[in-house]
Amino acid sequence: MDTLIAQLQRRFCDFTISLYHQGFLDDQFTELKKLQDECSPDFVAEVVTLFFEDCEKLISNMARALDQTGNVDFKLVGSSVHQLKGSSSSVGAKRVKGLCVTLKECCDSQNYEGCVRCLQQVDIEYKTLKAKLQDLFNLEQQIVQAGGRIPQVDI
Amino acid sequence: MRGDSFSMSIENLPDSPMGSRKKKMQIRKVFDKMTEWVTPWRSNLESPREMMILRGDVEQDEFQYASSHCLSSYYSVFVVRLAIMVMLAILIGLLTVLTWHFTRIYTKQSLQTLAYGLRYELLQRPVLRMWSVLNTTSELTTAQVKLSEYVIKKYDKPTTQEELVEMYQAMKDVTWALFASAKALNAITINYRNGFVQAFHRDPASSSTFYIFSDLKNYSISGTGPEDVSGWNNKSIHGNMSAIWYQQQLDPVTGENLGKPLKIPPDDLINIAGISQVPDGEASWHVTVSKYMDSPLLSAALPVFDASNKSIVAVVGVTTALYSVGQLMRDLVEVHGGHIYLTSQEGYLLATSTDGPLLKNTSNGPQLMKATDSEEWVIKSGAQWLEKTYGSKRPHVVHAENVKLGDQRYYIDSFYLNLKRLPIVGVVIIPRKFIMGKVDERAFKTLIILISASVCIFFIGCVCILILTNGVSKEMKLRAELIRQLDARRRAEASSNYKSQFLANMSHELRTPMAAVIGLLDILISDDCLSNEQYATVTQIRKCSTALLRLLNNILDLSKVESGKLVLEEAEFDLGRELEGLVDMFSVQCINHNVETVLDLSDDMPALVRGDSARLVQIFANLISNSIKFTTTGHIILRGWCENINSLHDEMSVSVDRRKPWAPMKTKQVQHRNHLQKSCKNANKMVLWFEVDDTGCGIDPSKWDSVFESFEQADPSTTRTHGGTGLGLCIVRNLVNKMGGEIKVVQKNGLGTLMRLYLILSTPDTVDQNIQPDFSKYGLVVMLSMYGSTARMITSKWLRKHGIATVEASDWNELTQIIRDLLETGSRDNSFDSQHNISDPLRAELSNIVEIKNPVFVIVVDIGVLDLTTNIWKEQLNYLDRFSNKAKFAWLLKHDTSNTVKTELRRKGHVMMVNKPLYKAKMIQILEAVIKNRKRGLCNDLRNRGNGSDESHDCLEIDPTQFDTCSSDDSSETSGEKQVDKSVKPSTLHSPVLKNYLIDATTSNDDSTSASMTQKNPEEEDWKDRLYSGIALDGKNQKSLEGIRILLAEDTPVLQRVATIMLEKMGATVTAVWDGQQAVDSLNYKSINAQAPTEEHKSFEEETANKVTTRETSLRNSSPYDLILMDCQMPKMDGYEATKAIRRAEIGTELHIPIVALTAHAMSSDEAKCLEVGMDAYLTKPIDRKLMVSTILSLTKPSAFQTSLSA
Repeated sequence: MDTLIAQLQRRFCDFTISLYHQGFLDDQFTELKKLQDECSPDFVAEVVTLFFEDCEKLISNMARALDQTGNVDFKLVGSSVHQLKGSSSSVGAKRVKGLCVTLKECCDSQNYEGCVRCLQQVDIEYKTLKAKLQDLFNLEQQIVQAGGRIPQVDI
Repeated sequence: MRGDSFSMSIENLPDSPMGSRKKKMQIRKVFDKMTEWVTPWRSNLESPREMMILRGDVEQDEFQYASSHCLSSYYSVFVVRLAIMVMLAILIGLLTVLTWHFTRIYTKQSLQTLAYGLRYELLQRPVLRMWSVLNTTSELTTAQVKLSEYVIKKYDKPTTQEELVEMYQAMKDVTWALFASAKALNAITINYRNGFVQAFHRDPASSSTFYIFSDLKNYSISGTGPEDVSGWNNKSIHGNMSAIWYQQQLDPVTGENLGKPLKIPPDDLINIAGISQVPDGEASWHVTVSKYMDSPLLSAALPVFDASNKSIVAVVGVTTALYSVGQLMRDLVEVHGGHIYLTSQEGYLLATSTDGPLLKNTSNGPQLMKATDSEEWVIKSGAQWLEKTYGSKRPHVVHAENVKLGDQRYYIDSFYLNLKRLPIVGVVIIPRKFIMGKVDERAFKTLIILISASVCIFFIGCVCILILTNGVSKEMKLRAELIRQLDARRRAEASSNYKSQFLANMSHELRTPMAAVIGLLDILISDDCLSNEQYATVTQIRKCSTALLRLLNNILDLSKVESGKLVLEEAEFDLGRELEGLVDMFSVQCINHNVETVLDLSDDMPALVRGDSARLVQIFANLISNSIKFTTTGHIILRGWCENINSLHDEMSVSVDRRKPWAPMKTKQVQHRNHLQKSCKNANKMVLWFEVDDTGCGIDPSKWDSVFESFEQADPSTTRTHGGTGLGLCIVRNLVNKMGGEIKVVQKNGLGTLMRLYLILSTPDTVDQNIQPDFSKYGLVVMLSMYGSTARMITSKWLRKHGIATVEASDWNELTQIIRDLLETGSRDNSFDSQHNISDPLRAELSNIVEIKNPVFVIVVDIGVLDLTTNIWKEQLNYLDRFSNKAKFAWLLKHDTSNTVKTELRRKGHVMMVNKPLYKAKMIQILEAVIKNRKRGLCNDLRNRGNGSDESHDCLEIDPTQFDTCSSDDSSETSGEKQVDKSVKPSTLHSPVLKNYLIDATTSNDDSTSASMTQKNPEEEDWKDRLYSGIALDGKNQKSLEGIRILLAEDTPVLQRVATIMLEKMGATVTAVWDGQQAVDSLNYKSINAQAPTEEHKSFEEETANKVTTRETSLRNSSPYDLILMDCQMPKMDGYEATKAIRRAEIGTELHIPIVALTAHAMSSDEAKCLEVGMDAYLTKPIDRKLMVSTILSLTKPSAFQTSLSA
C-alpha cells in the first residue's frame, strides 16, 4: 500500500513538474495551491473549474464574434480576450495567457486571420490544459483515496 | 553595301536630332523608373510609425522589394550605359560613312563628267581632223575632176597628137596648180582612158615633188570608146609592162622642172587610181599604203566624164596622208596621257597616238595592220578587250570605265564614225590613274582618316559616357547604399520600437518575479535557522537580485521615458535630505575608492520642493555612481544652488559672462522661462542648478554630447573595466528634460568631468522654509580636522559665512598644535607666537579666536586623522581626552570603523559621532547639540562622561536618518542598491521625516530614550515592510487585514474567487460583485446622501460644531466598506466609470472610500488614468499578495500607520 502511495506521489510530482516545465502552468498556480487549506479543500479545483467555464464561454463568444465575416466586432473580441487573459493569468495557465497576449495584439491590429488562428490555438491549448489538469486532479484523488498525502511540489 | 548604308543614311540623316531626342527620352524613362522605385518607398517612410509596427511582416517584404528594385536599377544603369555607347557607335559610324561617301561620290561624279567630256573631246578632235582631211581630199578631188572635165571638154575629141599633147599639157598645168595649192596632198593622179597617166607626188621623206607620167607613144589618140571602160584595170597601169614610166623632179614651189625625166621601174610607182576604183561612177575612198610613207594613205577616186556625160574619160585620184591625224593625236595624248587610235571598220589601224608603225612589212610590201596586232601593248590589249567584250556587234558608242588591262585600270571609249563610204572607229584608252588617280588616292586617305577619327571619337565618347554616367551610377550606388541604410535604420527603429513595446508590456512580468525573489530572500534572511554560510550566500543572492532589479528598472525606465509613458509625480519632498542621503550612501562606496564625496548645497536652496523625489534621486544617483566609476582619487562634489525664476532675468546678463560655455543653454532657458512665466505666473517655480564635479579621467570633449545617448560610453573599453550598460546618462538626460531642465558636460579646469544641470521645480507655498539657525551669537569655535581637503574647505567656508570661527587642520600634528595653542592658553598665554610652523593666515585666525570671549570649542575630528593602523590611536585619544572638558569633540566615523574604536570613543565619553561625509545638515546637528549641551551646564557634562561606558549607547552611534533602514544591517553596497531600489519604486507613501541625525548624549541618558528606541525597532521593521512592499511579510502578517471590509468588483469569476480567498485568508471580509454598477449600488451612497441632509435639517437648531461631528460619525458608520478593489475592465460599467460615479456621489460628503484599481496593464499611463478618475492606488494582475496587503493597509489605516512611524 505504501509503495502504491509512494508511486502515486512520485507520479504526481513528476506530472506536476512536467506541467510547469512544459509551460502549461506558472507560479500563480502554486500561489493558488497555497491558498487551499482545510477551510477550502477544493479551492483549486473550484477555481480551475470556474476558469474553464469562463474559458468556454469567452471562447465561444469570440468564435461567434469572429464568425460574422464582414463586420467583426474586434472590440468585443478584445474585451473577451482581455478577460480571458486576466483569468488565465490568475489561474496560472501560462500558455493560454501567452496566446491571449498574441490574440490581443492581433485583435488590436484588426488582423482577422491572426485572430482566428490564435483563437483556434487558444481553444486547443485550453482543452489540453483541461485534460492535463483533469489528470492531475485524478491523481490527487487517487492519492487521497489511497490514504496518502498530497506531496508538496517545489518548482 | 554602299547602297545600303546610303539608304540608311538618307533615312537617318534628317532623323538624327530626333534620334538623340529619342535617346534622351529613353534615358529619362529609365530614370523615371528608378525614381519610381524609390518614391513609393519614400512615401512609405513618411507613413505613421504605428502602421509600421503593425505591419512589420509586410514591410519586410517591401524592404526586399525595394532592394531588388535597387539591384535591377543598378543593372538598368549598366544597360543604359551600354545603349548609349551603341547609339554613339552607330551615330559615329553613320557619320563616317556619309562623310566618306559624299566627299567621294560628288568628286567622283563631277570628275567622271569632266572625264567623259574630256574623252569625248579627245576623240572628237582627231575625228574632226580626219573629217576635215577627208573633206579636203574630197573637195580637191572634185575640183580636179571639174577642171579635168573642163579641159577635156575644151579639147574634145582630139584628133591630133599635138592636140592631145596640148591637152595633156593643159591638164598638167591645171593639176599642178591644184596640187601646189593643196600642200597636204600626197599625190594627184589622172588616169586617162587611153592609159596615159599623169601624176604629181610629194615624197615627204626627201621633201621633193615629182611629176610622173607614162610614155605617150603607145597611146592612140582616139582611144577606146566608152564601151572599153571595162577594159580598164589596174593591170593596165602596173601590169602594163610595156609602158615606160618617167619621173621628173619639180620645184615644189614653182613647178619648174628640175631635171630630166627619169625612167622609173613600175615597182616604185605610187598608187594610181584606176577605173576599177570608180565602178559606179561615184567617188570612192580607200585606205592605201605606199612604200614611201610609213602611215596609211587616204585616197579618193572620181571619174571624169566627157562632155556628153556618158563615158568616163579619165579617173582622178587624190591621195592624202593620214599622218597629220596621228600628229594631232600625239599632241593631244601628250597633254592628257593615254592612247587614241582610229581604225577602219574592219579594224585596220588608221592612226594612233603612238609612234609605233601602222604598217607591217610583208613580202607584198607594206600592208595595213589590225589594231589587235599593234605593237603598242595598250592599244593591242584595248582592242582585244573591245573585241572580246562586244565581238562583231560593236555598238556605235562605247564608254567603258574601269577596264582592267594588265594591272592598270583604263577608261575605254569608242566612237563609230560613219563617214561617206569610209566608216571609221575611234578609240580612246586613258588610264584611270590620270583622271581618277588623285581622287582615288584622296578617297582612300579620307577613308583612313575618317575611320581613325571616328574610332577616336567613339572611344572618347565612351569615356565621356562612362565619366558622365559615372555620376549617375555613383548616385545609384549611393542611393542603394542609402536605401540599405534607411532599411537598416527602419529595422533598427522597428526593433527598438518592438523593444520599447515589449519592455513596456513586460514591465510587470519582469518586475513581479524579481520582487518576489527579493521578498522571498528577505524572508529567508530573517529566518533564524540559517547557518552563517547560508546566510552569506543568501545575502549575496539578494545583492545580485537587487542589482538585477536595478538593471531591469533602468531599462524599463528608459523604455518608459522613450515611449513617453513616464509620468512624473508631483509631491513635496525635502530636497536636501534626499541629496544628503544619497551622498551618505555613495560616500561609503567612495571611501572604499579613496575618493571624497562632498555635498555643497547653498543655503538658499529650498528645503521643500514639489516634484518626483524618486526620479530626482535617480538622476543624481546615476551621475554620482558614474563619477565614482571613473574617479580613483580625488573628490566628487555635488553642488547645488538656486535661482528664483523671477529674479533670473537680472542675473542673466552677469551669469552669461561668467559662464561662457553655459551661455547657449542659458538662452534656451530664457525662452523656456519666458514660456513658463506666461503659463504659470503665480506658481512658485525655482530653477535649481546642480553640478556633479569629479576628478576622474574626464570625457573627451568630442563625446560630450554623445555620452547622453543610450548604450553610449565615452570609451568603449570602460565596459570592460567598469561595467555598466551605458544607460545611466541617457536616463538622466531624459529625466532632466522631463523635469524641464537640461544637462550638459561643461569645461572644467583640471582633471575630471563637470556635469551641470538645471531643473525647474515648484516649491510649496509655505513661506520661510529655510530658517537658518544663527550660531554666531554663541561664540563657537570649530576646529575641523579632516584630511579630505575639499570637504574641509567647503565646510569651513560655510561655517565662516555663518560667523563661526573655524580652524582647519589636515593631520594629527597640525591638530595637536592648534589644540595646544587654543586650549592651553591658560598656561602658555602667547605660546602660539613662538610656533614657527604655523602659517600666517592660520596664525591670524588663531589670534582672532583668542579674542572671542568665552568661546565654545568644537573639535570635529576625522577618525582617519588618528593612526588606526597601529595602537598609537589610543594614546592619541588619551591626549585629546585631556581637553574634553574644554572642548566638545565630534567624531567623523567611517562606515567601516571598527567596533573597538567606537567602544573606546564611547568609553571616553565622546558620544557625538557622525558617519562621514560631513555636510551642512550634520554640521548643524553637531552645533545644535553642542549649544544645547552647553545650556545644560557643566555638571551634566561630567555625568555624561561617567555613563559613557553604558552599552545602551550602541544604538546611537549611527545617525538614524531615514537611510539607516538601508545601511543599518546591510553592507555598503546593498545600501546603495537599496537606495536606488527605493527611489525607483513608485512610492505612494512618503517617508516620514526623521529629523534627528544625531542623538544627543544628554537625551540618551534618560530612560525614556532607551524605551523609545526599543519601541522604534519594530516600527522600523514595520516601515521597512511597507517600503519594500514586496518583501518580508512573515507569519504574523498573515492576518494583517483582520476586520477590514472589502468590496471586490471583478467580473472574471476566476479572479474574483482567487482574490476573495486571498483576502479572506488574511482576515478581511470580502463582498464580491460582478460589475461596476453593482459596486456603486452596493455602496448605497444615494441613501446616505439623502439621509445626510435630513439629519442636517433635524439638527439645524443644534450647535453647528455638534452637527458636523454627528454627520461625520454617522457617515463613517454608514459606509459599509473600508476599501474597494475595482477591476478596470468590466461589463456594464467599467472600473473608471464606477469610480467616477462613486466620487461624484461623495461630493458634498466628507467621505472618501479608498479605491484600488485592478488592471492587467502595467504601464504608468494606466496608473495615471486610474489616479485621474479618483482611485487611490493601483494593483496589477495577477495579484501579488504582499503588494496587495501593503497597499490595502496603507490605505485603510493611514492614521495608525503614520502615527506609528512619526514618533
